[in-house]
Amino acid sequence: MASVTFKNVYKRYGDVVAVNNLDIRVEDKEFLVLVGPSGCGKTTALRSLAGLEEISEGEILIGDRVVNDVAPKDRDIAMVFQSYALYPHLSVYDNMAFGLKLRKTPKDEIKRRVDEAADILGIHDLLQRKPRQLSGGQRQRVAVGRAIVREPKVFLFDEPLSNLDAKLRVAMRAEISKLHQRLQTTFIYVTHDQIEAMTMATRIAVINKGILQQLDTPQILYDRPNNLFVAGFIGSPSMNFFPGKLRREGNKLMVDTGDFTVVIPEKFAKPYEAHAGKEIIFGIRPENIHDADFIPPNVDVERVNVKVDVTELMGNEIFLYLVSGKNTFVARVDPRSKLRLGQQAAVAMDMDSIHIFDAATEEAIR
Amino acid sequence: MATAIAKKTRKKNTDFRKAILPYLYLLPAFAVMAVIVFYPLIYQLIVSFTDFQTKDLRFGLASPELNFIGFQNYVDILTGSLPVQNFDFLRVLVFNFWWALTNVLLHVPAGVVIAVLLNTQGLWFKKIYRAIFILPVVVPPIVVATVWRNIFDENYGAMNQFLTAAAQFLGSADPVRIRWLTDFTPPIEWLLPTGALTLAYYAMMVANFWLGWPFMTVVATGALQSIPSDLYEAASIDGATGSQQFWRITVPLIRPAMIPAAVYGFTLSFNLFAFVFFMTGGGPARSTEIMVTFAYDLVRNLRLFGAAAAFSVFIFIVALIVFLITNRITRATESYTEA
Repeated sequence: MASVTFKNVYKRYGDVVAVNNLDIRVEDKEFLVLVGPSGCGKTTALRSLAGLEEISEGEILIGDRVVNDVAPKDRDIAMVFQSYALYPHLSVYDNMAFGLKLRKTPKDEIKRRVDEAADILGIHDLLQRKPRQLSGGQRQRVAVGRAIVREPKVFLFDEPLSNLDAKLRVAMRAEISKLHQRLQTTFIYVTHDQIEAMTMATRIAVINKGILQQLDTPQILYDRPNNLFVAGFIGSPSMNFFPGKLRREGNKLMVDTGDFTVVIPEKFAKPYEAHAGKEIIFGIRPENIHDADFIPPNVDVERVNVKVDVTELMGNEIFLYLVSGKNTFVARVDPRSKLRLGQQAAVAMDMDSIHIFDAATEEAIR
Repeated sequence: MATAIAKKTRKKNTDFRKAILPYLYLLPAFAVMAVIVFYPLIYQLIVSFTDFQTKDLRFGLASPELNFIGFQNYVDILTGSLPVQNFDFLRVLVFNFWWALTNVLLHVPAGVVIAVLLNTQGLWFKKIYRAIFILPVVVPPIVVATVWRNIFDENYGAMNQFLTAAAQFLGSADPVRIRWLTDFTPPIEWLLPTGALTLAYYAMMVANFWLGWPFMTVVATGALQSIPSDLYEAASIDGATGSQQFWRITVPLIRPAMIPAAVYGFTLSFNLFAFVFFMTGGGPARSTEIMVTFAYDLVRNLRLFGAAAAFSVFIFIVALIVFLITNRITRATESYTEA
């Protein structure tokens, strides 16, 4: 059990900066998820922590110890790889016991630990099999088991679920969360899937182009994204963005997208005052756009005229793909909504849940 | 009713066609094999039961003077009763095995080690090395044998010249005159109890090493590159040192590729006719004779076609047994990744 600290870490490959001034402190027993699009540097950061990559600058600490020059085996970490990286010539038991055998752990202690891990993961029946005789989900469990038996201070996961089918992924997500609660150890988990991040993490670090965008709890990331990238990356379907201008008319501050205009409620308007007359990007999440017939009580709404382009029925909700002038956007509305393909209608935007970003810096205006 | 029967026969016909189709596809290959492999094989088997000699060549098996003598040729070979000087079947057989085995034991580990070294990340000119190393594989053995025979020449060979230069460097004035290919005194007498391992054997080992390791390196390189790098990463996190990774990951994972290569190398060395024939001619005093060169000698010098055929059958049987045993013991054809 230990905290993990990235102190101004850089990793450069020639001119390419894969990790750019990464500064994160992961608390002991925390479940931190590094999330970002492919090639954003999250895996490089994890591999640097594991000791599989040398960093170009900065410090990485596990606990209080700087591990920059410590060999992977001496960092007291265990890693679950995307490809599982099971040793194909060894049985499941030997795969899990491999690291312990190398460390000259007594035989009965190895057996105890492997049995215990196999119990936790429900793979006792598979211990004598070879990896090729296992399904993807079983291999995944073995890979996790191999990490558990080592009883490391920190668990590292590198996109461990991306090779599984959708259903299994959901099940394994829950199991990994449970495992974290049970083991009470620091987990650092890399994924490009924001749903995995949202469902499992204590805190999420959103990374783009090697730069940390925001490090917060899932709920704060969702409700108060720092910038356009985080706002667009977290949430599915993603937030709708409308380029426009902040305009003042009398004592009202409004967003003018060219195709429609919405008034910002006075109680929220204050931080935006300074940007009046400037280019901004107006953001609103799909669930904050309602069918005018099903507006929840006590919200400030602004009506916008749209044409329904596509409808997707999900059973518990409906996704509407809407067009307003040059803007297309998504609304997630009540399943009782009667809006159908090709209809002209007015939808209601919940103005209590809007996001406004500076068009030039893409930072959230607060 | 009539249509039902028609349907049934039609179904039967398609079933028959489906069943026969694979054999039709195999037929051309089988026809070629029959002419170039099966026919000579069977012909030779028949000849091995006769006293086939030069006079029978004109009519072949239809020759009026041809006598079927049963297993006499085989018995003559096993008891050493052939009219040949210095002939001892057991000695030739044991030497042949020893020759093939020592070659493989040298080539495979060397090939693997060199492949591992060449597989080092960040090594310069990797592709050039690999291209150079494939060269010996494509040079005809007769050329290799001739070149190396000259290198080991007593008077003018590069080997003795090199050793002379080395000796001079160390202060000795006498020129080195080692009779590599003609000296019959074995340098290590106890090494092979059935017959002396002459200097010629060691010279052949050196030459054949030059010929043999690149193939093993090529195979090992291919096998190495098929090992996912994350296995090594997982192992390094698990605590494996470089040598532990080599023995516990590299070796078991290239084994499925190296064992067939080793078996192939063994059979190749076992029957390496052109090389042995042109380098030492089986000499001195038949000490480096392998079975195929001996069989050839039976035909070339003694015109004992029947005995030579019987000898070839022995070679075939021995090679087959060797192959079956190694394949069985090592499960050579098993791959780890196959589901």
